[in-house]
Amino acid sequence: MLNIYYGDMEDVIYNTSVYFKFNYEKEWMSSPEVIQMIKDVDNSEVLGNGAIDSPVMGIIAPTNLSGGVKTLILIDKVRDKIFNASNCGDNCAGWLLKLAEKDDIVINLRHLMNFGDDEFKIKILNDDVIVSNMNELIRIAGRYV
Amino acid sequence: MRGSYHLIVQSAHLKYELDLKRNITVIQGDSATGKTTLADMIREYILNGSDTGITISCKVKCRLIEGNTWKEQLESIVESIVFIDEGNKFVASKEFADAIKNSDNYYVIITRESLNTLPYSVNEIYGIHSSGKYNSLEPVYHSLYRIYGDDECKVSDIKNIIVEDSNSGYQFFKHLSGERINCLSANGKGFF
Repeated sequence: MLNIYYGDMEDVIYNTSVYFKFNYEKEWMSSPEVIQMIKDVDNSEVLGNGAIDSPVMGIIAPTNLSGGVKTLILIDKVRDKIFNASNCGDNCAGWLLKLAEKDDIVINLRHLMNFGDDEFKIKILNDDVIVSNMNELIRIAGRYV
Repeated sequence: MRGSYHLIVQSAHLKYELDLKRNITVIQGDSATGKTTLADMIREYILNGSDTGITISCKVKCRLIEGNTWKEQLESIVESIVFIDEGNKFVASKEFADAIKNSDNYYVIITRESLNTLPYSVNEIYGIHSSGKYNSLEPVYHSLYRIYGDDECKVSDIKNIIVEDSNSGYQFFKHLSGERINCLSANGKGFF
């Protein structure tokens, strides 16, 4: 399930791009899930050598991916840290829910991310409450961000 | 600084065109729209000037502040447009709000966080649109679009106003609402 702590949080990795820059593993780029995330969010293709073909920037290194996709990759690959997912736009929300289908994931949000119109299962850690749609989520999360 | 500032930031493959109307502009929106690339171009231009092949066209200087030494960086900046990229925690701090209050710069802040300490307009929150593709003859063109505030709201359609504040803000809107519009105080954020 996706677990979210809203608002300021201690020991969170706030600047996820800097963390990614110094800690990403080359092998992550060959994971099918990461390849699909990069395609969905950045509209870019991972090439065989780990470089990325971006429609806007040309051939780029993984460190030049969008802040959102770098944060998604960290949330997927580094499980002993909590990351600031407010570096992700709404176009990353589906991937956060997808990653949380297979494992319990904890993230920190400092804004109201739109998780869409469909039903979902998200635990808001501030109140220890599970919500199942945006209407329920906003009523609780809105108090913290 | 006062008034509007037109800014063009361009490289061989990318072009950004912005009109800044107030002293604080917030850029947010989906991932991968080019927000950080804009900040990167400003940073590179400041560090390496025309060697970068980047051109910046604006009637005032552009600067970028970041990291834990933001305060020292800001001290030497006057009458400039100051960019701040995502990942800089200080933008939500009271210390930063105080520093902005006492400066004559314009600020472009890339963040999705609510900046409760800063007085900025909902009309000055933008996303970035892009058109074109890498390798085409023209650079990929990026411009701003307003995220909120383009929907027109007629005063005659308003039935209720909820004001977070319970003191002067509430009294102001209560007075403004008159008899026809119901004005309530939320007594703080907890109401929602």
